[in-house]
Amino acid sequence: MSAIRKTLDLLYLIAGIAAALCLISILLLIVAQMVARWTGEIFPGAPNYAGYAMAAASFFAFANALNRGAHIRVSILLNAVNPRLKYMLEIWCFGIAAAIAWYFTYYAYWFVYWSWKFNEVSQGQDAILMWIPQSVMVIGGGLLAIALSDNLLHVLIKGQHRISRDIVDENLEG
Amino acid sequence: MTELYAIILFLFVLFFLLGTGVWVGLALMGVAWVGMELFTTRPVGDTMITTIWASSSSWTLTALPLFIWMGEILYRTRLSEDMFKGLSPWLARLPGGLVHTNIVSCTVFAAVSGSSAATLTTVGKMAIPELRARNYPEKMVIGTLAGAATLGLMIPPSLALIVYGVTVNESITKLFFAGVFPGLVLAGMFMGYVAITSFVSKDWNPTIETGMSFREKLANSRFLLPVFALITVVIGSMYGGYATATEAAAIGVIGALVLALFQGSLTWSSFRESLMGATRTSAMIALILAGAAFLKLSMGFTGLPRSLADGIAAMELTRFQLLMALLVFYIILGMFLDGISAIVLTMAVVEPMVRGAGIDLIWFGIFVVVVIEMAQITPPIGFNLFVLQGMTDHEMGYITKAALPMFGIMVLMVFVLIWLPEIATWLPDNLRQRPS
Repeated sequence: MSAIRKTLDLLYLIAGIAAALCLISILLLIVAQMVARWTGEIFPGAPNYAGYAMAAASFFAFANALNRGAHIRVSILLNAVNPRLKYMLEIWCFGIAAAIAWYFTYYAYWFVYWSWKFNEVSQGQDAILMWIPQSVMVIGGGLLAIALSDNLLHVLIKGQHRISRDIVDENLEG
Repeated sequence: MTELYAIILFLFVLFFLLGTGVWVGLALMGVAWVGMELFTTRPVGDTMITTIWASSSSWTLTALPLFIWMGEILYRTRLSEDMFKGLSPWLARLPGGLVHTNIVSCTVFAAVSGSSAATLTTVGKMAIPELRARNYPEKMVIGTLAGAATLGLMIPPSLALIVYGVTVNESITKLFFAGVFPGLVLAGMFMGYVAITSFVSKDWNPTIETGMSFREKLANSRFLLPVFALITVVIGSMYGGYATATEAAAIGVIGALVLALFQGSLTWSSFRESLMGATRTSAMIALILAGAAFLKLSMGFTGLPRSLADGIAAMELTRFQLLMALLVFYIILGMFLDGISAIVLTMAVVEPMVRGAGIDLIWFGIFVVVVIEMAQITPPIGFNLFVLQGMTDHEMGYITKAALPMFGIMVLMVFVLIWLPEIATWLPDNLRQRPS
């Protein structure tokens, strides 16, 4: 049991780090493109690559962001009801959210599969095989689905989810 | 008639999912799925993936994580101390005294940060203890901070305007510049309120420090140089047409890193924390935007936006009446939703309505942002209220009351915007176009 726990936590962490590296690569790509423009060169496909890195940075971080309480939800009802009802509501939230995430992952898988099968190539200047960047949807979506199911099981068995929340330090988004 | 039932069912599912606490991005995907199943015979799953892929891998969106990262880096520097040291000597002698540092610091930090909560925490961690030590009325300290921090959403760079621009396909650079003057006017109105209160209020007797000489004041201003240099580079590069919003964001991140390095606050751990924090926050917004892109498509099939736009057109509302209706609508929505969710959730329906009424979408972006700013300080869900609660240990009710005058000022700002739309539209109309 604890081996599974450790593996999952490691997986979320690795995906989070991969997302952070993608963020850095967005920065590098944009800087490279700017420098190229100023020196009269061209960096073909840079906007496309930055876009793929953006998608990767988002999808890889979904599960990590969930576990750290970064994803926004309307918590007014959750905070107002008694513990019993709150327990039921949490099961509903994790259940429906996991269902949506699994649905997404399933279709993302087939989308990428057909893209690979037909050797779909990007329309942009990058002319990359599309299944490569698109597969981040399957990996990231799948991890989010796993993380949500993970939390759902945790609520069902232990009565408590695993999302940590520190409103001042973790949420500078508003 | 069956169409009406379908629309009612669709809206019910929307409010049910959001209200029960399903994460906003996933809730939007769920509602969009229901809409597609009810109103079309298209293959829903495939349409969903195509739409979400197109929206998540967009180049325009890359400005978002970079501006978030820039704010995260600066939040971890000594910038808040420096701003207080640099600004307070100049503001101490104004009627209202150092409470003005709250507002001016927020305005300055807003010009390097796109978020209201980041502005609030950065300025607040320095200003609250300093002002308390000098006996300023607590209510004024808390209230002005809550209000002025919302300028983070208005003054460029602004995350809310990036999200708005991506959602309605308008130029982010133009939106940014549309926010400059309204942001400054609003800051001026806050300062006016502080000055008036300082004359009227009875419990206004703060400790006044002995004045500094002009030379000392100037010497203290050196602390402001780094942040003003950063603002000049980021905003100037966009204004001069040298960089797009995304490129300006990249310049900003590098500038912020350099600034942190020279201050000695750039450590491996602060770098890592800023990067991970930015990654998570941008993932949070990306999930909402992914859901919203799918919902926008689905909404189109329901026919709801068109029939609402037609309905509004048939009612022959004046422009002013329509804006008043939207103002009330957004204030109510803002009580329960955060600003970014409120923008993406409503734009699919509101955009055709507003375009139909002949309202300029750049101007409307600023209108929406003022209203979204109000949402930050209205209970029961107001993000700045939560953050301030965490920082000061005051009760929610107290903070809400303290922030209420600022809410009033923002309502006033909406009327100023309607009366003088040029405050928002003049600057973007006179931008130098990028030669490309």
